[in-house]
Amino acid sequence: MDQLKGFTFTPQQLRMYGIIGSVVGIYLTVGLNVLTGTKLFSFIGSIAALFAVLWGANAIRRICSYGLGTGVPAMGMLCTGMGCVAAVFGLNLAGRFGIEWAGVIITLIYAAIFGYVVGVLCNKVMKFNIPIMEEGLTDGAAACTMAILAWSVTISGSLSYNAIIADVYNTGFLALIFILGGMALFHPFNANLGPDEKQDRTLIDGMMVGGLAMIGVGICSLVTLGLAPAMLTIVVGFAIWYYFYIWYFRLTTRDAAAVVGTGLLPPSAL
Amino acid sequence: MDAFGMGLVAAMGALATVAGASEDIDSDIGSQSNPNSQVQLAAQVGNPHRIYNKAIAGEPPSNALWCATACIMAYVLIEGFHMPLLFATVAGASLAALFDGVMATSAYFGRSASQSRFNQWIYLDIVRYTTPSIMAHVWITSFCVTLIAVIQVYVLTPHHPFPIPVIGLIWGITIGAIGSSVGDIHYGGEREFQWRLFGQGLNTMLSGQIVRKAEAGLRNSIDNAWFCAKFGGPCTGLGFGLTVFCDNWRTTVFDPVTQAPYAIAMGVIFVILMNVYNLYMEISARKKYGPYPGYKGDIAA
Repeated sequence: MDQLKGFTFTPQQLRMYGIIGSVVGIYLTVGLNVLTGTKLFSFIGSIAALFAVLWGANAIRRICSYGLGTGVPAMGMLCTGMGCVAAVFGLNLAGRFGIEWAGVIITLIYAAIFGYVVGVLCNKVMKFNIPIMEEGLTDGAAACTMAILAWSVTISGSLSYNAIIADVYNTGFLALIFILGGMALFHPFNANLGPDEKQDRTLIDGMMVGGLAMIGVGICSLVTLGLAPAMLTIVVGFAIWYYFYIWYFRLTTRDAAAVVGTGLLPPSAL
Repeated sequence: MDAFGMGLVAAMGALATVAGASEDIDSDIGSQSNPNSQVQLAAQVGNPHRIYNKAIAGEPPSNALWCATACIMAYVLIEGFHMPLLFATVAGASLAALFDGVMATSAYFGRSASQSRFNQWIYLDIVRYTTPSIMAHVWITSFCVTLIAVIQVYVLTPHHPFPIPVIGLIWGITIGAIGSSVGDIHYGGEREFQWRLFGQGLNTMLSGQIVRKAEAGLRNSIDNAWFCAKFGGPCTGLGFGLTVFCDNWRTTVFDPVTQAPYAIAMGVIFVILMNVYNLYMEISARKKYGPYPGYKGDIAA
C-alpha cells in the first residue's frame, strides 16, 4: 500500500473549525428547513456535529495524554453530561427572552464557562494538577454541547426549545445522543491509547464514530421527521462512516508494526 | 399483584440472567474492562500476543450504548411503525450488534497500531473470527435488555413512565457494572495468570506477564470464552438476574403508588440480607481455605 500522508492540526485550528463549522452548520440546517418549508435539510445538523466531534476529540486527547488511562471515558462522559445540561439551559434562556435564533450562541458561551469552572474545580479543589485541564474542559464541554445541539437539531428539525424537549428529551432519544455522542468524543483516544498514538488516526476514528452517530440519529428521526428526511440522514451517515472507516483502516496499516493475515507471534517474541 | 404480573417479573429475571452471562462472555472474548489493562500491558513488557484488545470505554458505557441503540430502534419501530414488540426488539438488537462490530474492530486496530514500537502485530484472522463472536454475544445481551425494557413499559402494569431508550441506558450501565465487578475477575485475576497458584491475587511484579500460549498453539480470545463461560459468565448472570428480579418483584407485590413505603422497606431488607450473606460467605471461605500458602505475613510498606 502506498504511503499515506498524515495531517496535524493545532488545538487553535481545531477550535476555530469546531466553532465555525458547528454554529454555521446548525444555522444552515434550520435556515434551509425554514426557507424550503421541509425538514429535508436536517441531515446537515449531523455534519455540523462532525466539526464539533473533531474539536472535542482533540480536547479529550490533550487532557488524557497526561496519563489518565481509565479516565478517558470518564472525561468524555463528564463533557457529555455538561453538554446535556448546557444545551437545555441555553435554549431555554433564549426562548424565555424571545430570541430563539440566538440559542446556539448562548449555549456555546454558557458551555464554555461551565467547562472552565469545572476545570478550575478539578485542578484547584480536586488537585488533578493537569496544566491544560481548564482549557481542555472548556473545549471539551463546548464541543460536546455543540455536538449534542447539532444532533438534537437533526432529530427535531428545528431550534426551538419546545420542539427539542418534545422530540429529543421526552422521547428518550437523548439517551442515544448522550452515550453515542460521548463515545464519539472519547472513543477515538481510548481506542488509540498507547505510546505510538497519532493525532490524525485518532481524529479520523472520531469522524468514523461521528458517522455512526449520524446513522443512529437518523434512525431516531424516523419517528420525529418522517421517512424521507430520516433516510437522507441515514444514507449520508452511512457514506461518511464508510469513508472514514476505510481511511482509518489505512492509517492503522500505516502505523502498525505489521498487519498480517494470520501467523504466529513476531519472531522476537516466540 | 396478579399472577400474570408475577410471571412477567419471573420472565424478566430469566432474561436478565441470560443477558448477564452473555455480557460477561462478550467482554471476556474482547478482553474488555478489568482484564484489558493486562492485555494492554503485555506487549509493553515484551509479550506481544494474539488476544483481542476491545477497548470500548469501560463496560458500563459500552453496554449502555448497545442497549440504548437497541432500544431506540425498537422504540422507533413500535411507536413510529406499529411493529410487533418482539420483532422490534430483534431489529434493535441486530443494529446494536452491528454498532458493536464497528467499535470493536476500530479499538483492536487502534490499540495494536499504537503499540507498534513493542512489535504488536495486527492479525486479520483474529478480527475475522473473533468479532462475529463478540457481536453475537452483544446481540443476546441487548436483545434481553431491550425485551426487559419493553416488558416494563408496554406490558407490565403499572407501565413504567420512562421511554424505553432511557430504561435501556440505565439497565445497560447496570449490567456493565455488574459484569465488570463480578465476572471479569475470573478472567483478569485467574485465566490470565493461570501459571500462578490459584487465589494468589495479582502481584504488581506480574503485570503484563499473561498467559499467551495454549495447550496447543497460541492462546486466543475464544479459548478465554470457553473458560469464562464455566463460572464468570453464570455468576454475572446470577448477579444481574437477581438485581432485575428483586427490584421488580417488590414493585409488583406492592403497588409503587399507594404502597410506596412497603416497596422501599422491602428494598432495604434485600440490601441488608445480601450484606449479611456476603459477610457469612467471606467468613466461611476464610475458615475453609485459610490464608494463601505462600503468605509470609504483611510486608511493611
